Amino acid sequence: MSAERTWQIVLGMLPPVCLIALWHGIATAGWAPAALLPLPSAVFARLFEQLHNPVFLQHAATTLFRLFAGFGIAVVVGVMLGIAAAGSRRLEALLRPLLRVLAPVPKIALYPALVLILGFEHASKVALVVADAVFPILLATYQGAATVEPKLVWSARAAGASPRRTLLTVVLPAALPAILTGCRIGLVISSIVVFLAEMLTSTDGLGHLLIYASRSFQTVDMFVPLITISLLGLLLNAAINALQKRLLAGFPDAG
Amino acid sequence: MIVIEGLTKSFEPTRRQRHLALGDLSLSIAEGEFVSILGPSGCGKSTLLYVVGGFVPPTSGKVVVNGKAVTGPGPDRGPVFQEFALFPWKTVLGNVMYGLLEQGVPRALAESKARALISLVHLAGYEDFYPKQLSGGMKQRVAIARTLAYGPKILLMDEPFGALDAHTRTGLQRELLEIWERDRKTVLFVTHSVEEAVFLSDRVVVLTRSPGRIKAMIDIDLPRPRRRAELLVDRRYQTFVVEIEGLMDTQGQGRQ
Amino acid sequence: MSLKVASASAVPPLLACLALLAGWEGAARVLDINGLPPAYDALRELPAILSDREALLNIAASLRRMLTGFVLALLISIPVGLAMARSPRVAALCNPLLMLIYPVPKAALMPIIMLWLGIGDASKTIVIGLGVSLPVIYHSYQGARAIEEKLIWSAAAMGMRPAARLLRIVLPAALPQIFVGIRTGLVLALITMVTSEMIARQAGVGSILFNALDMAQYASVYAMIVIIGVLGFVLDLLFERLRAKLVAWAEPSHDIAVGTA
Repeated sequence: MSAERTWQIVLGMLPPVCLIALWHGIATAGWAPAALLPLPSAVFARLFEQLHNPVFLQHAATTLFRLFAGFGIAVVVGVMLGIAAAGSRRLEALLRPLLRVLAPVPKIALYPALVLILGFEHASKVALVVADAVFPILLATYQGAATVEPKLVWSARAAGASPRRTLLTVVLPAALPAILTGCRIGLVISSIVVFLAEMLTSTDGLGHLLIYASRSFQTVDMFVPLITISLLGLLLNAAINALQKRLLAGFPDAG
Repeated sequence: MIVIEGLTKSFEPTRRQRHLALGDLSLSIAEGEFVSILGPSGCGKSTLLYVVGGFVPPTSGKVVVNGKAVTGPGPDRGPVFQEFALFPWKTVLGNVMYGLLEQGVPRALAESKARALISLVHLAGYEDFYPKQLSGGMKQRVAIARTLAYGPKILLMDEPFGALDAHTRTGLQRELLEIWERDRKTVLFVTHSVEEAVFLSDRVVVLTRSPGRIKAMIDIDLPRPRRRAELLVDRRYQTFVVEIEGLMDTQGQGRQ
Repeated sequence: MSLKVASASAVPPLLACLALLAGWEGAARVLDINGLPPAYDALRELPAILSDREALLNIAASLRRMLTGFVLALLISIPVGLAMARSPRVAALCNPLLMLIYPVPKAALMPIIMLWLGIGDASKTIVIGLGVSLPVIYHSYQGARAIEEKLIWSAAAMGMRPAARLLRIVLPAALPQIFVGIRTGLVLALITMVTSEMIARQAGVGSILFNALDMAQYASVYAMIVIIGVLGFVLDLLFERLRAKLVAWAEPSHDIAVGTA
């Protein structure tokens, strides 16, 4: 490992480490009551404990289930609509104003409505995730598909592919880098939204655990779900990175 | 084979502007002819190619290929582009097989045909490489192989060697002629280079500056097969080049 | 954008709104459940809410908190983003920390921050500020990074000192991307505001919304959703106009809405 790279890693670890040290300092100095600010060591110990606790893991699994269900649906819908809109002027003209109106609306505001219609269980949360995640995926797919080099499309059409086949065999793969970028954003949004929804109305999941802990003033237990979701986000991001490397093997590296 | 009548093409990049790329152009190309289209930048020579290929619709006029009007792209007219336009997510083999598979050829047969073509363009051994791992000249060979794979009767080549260095260029010119000699397809070849046009073609069509119209047509009746070393010192070749370069130099606006 | 094109482009979104309302009305009638009142009922509640002085004050206070957090975040985030772009050391310092914070919903910090700072404005403003910071930092960073080195070299060769270069070359060139970040930040500010109020349940549009939910005043719930939606749309529209004016020379941006808190 080069000296520069080592230095970068060290620098990168500095702020989190300093923050934890600061946290530890404030907690031990007694500037804040222990009830409000637990020791970082206490928090991490509890985190470790919970990660071996089947009840906690069950909640985490519930959250993950809702996250992936919503994200999966959003990917299918977003990619299909995005590719189709790139191939059809009419569809694009239909979708564009709808998206223009809906995109700046905070979808979380829809959550009460979703709860009223779909109930308090998984469905409303999955629906919220879909509503939030589909936008970046659709937009990225459309943009990627609409800016495919025309000569690629021409080459395919001349080779005998129908317009539909061309969309599937050329436009879709060519748009893959953009689609994956949109998916990456969509995945983060999914994890954020599912957590929030669970905080607002839920009887299970990581978000619920946070609210439950806050109601019983268990500050240590409030930190644990937050750290878990942060780590989860990092893991998912790394997963998408790995997926990108595999799927985009042939593409010239982006700048 | 190809009959172009009264072709005009105008573009409207914005609502207010209109650019007439081709103005009332008529041209006939016989089967098996190798025709080069020459002209200054922006004279619409690529546009002409795209209209014949069916990628771009004409504003007015007709293009008839083999008795049928052109309404869209098709495997009877195979393009080769300057930027290669290879599918980056497919290997060399995958690229060359594409047209065959789209036409319903069974996979095993498609693969063997593709491999034969890859050998033909001297790229045997590179079947599993991705385009980004290849040099410019190699990429263009793959593009040519990919087009040849679906057996077009007409080749539409848009400055195919323009992005390559001089040495690779002359090598590919020779290879192109070797391939062409085999089944004498009809070729429409757009280029900037007078020498290239004279070296390769049976006929050279010189276009005027935009709006492109035919300025001159010169029959190149040099004997085939053509060898670069012989032609470079051939008096008649040199005369052709000088004459056509002279035509290119005195380009004015519009018609002669 | 010429006036003609601008007004022509207002028609499709209006049609889209009407289509959505019609779809809502239709779905409500077909499904016929308590939880989905027809659009007309919900819209009828709007005057009642909007003429209620207390509700209006609540909404105004929400917006005030949002804008405060928003502006504060901008003042800090843009320089941070620019600094990260110009100095790889600063970038190496900040990036991992930001990556840890990114997946955490800022509004989820509300319970903890409320424990520390109470349920007043401060906690919400801080959370909003945090929510806005990340996209603004990211886009400022990307915008400044993408500037052609040659521009900077020319300026340096002409004798411009680093501070001047930052202000007069880097900042303007990065401005289009910065504005994309600000736009995203605005969206996030609104979302974080609504969500934090939903969690705190004390004041603001979010709490009105959830209180109506608790009291089964379904029509009011939907009316509040419409209000929030309109707020989001109008804020975004105003900002887009501002952005188009200020960075008219930039390519149109196809920004992918970075989305929620």
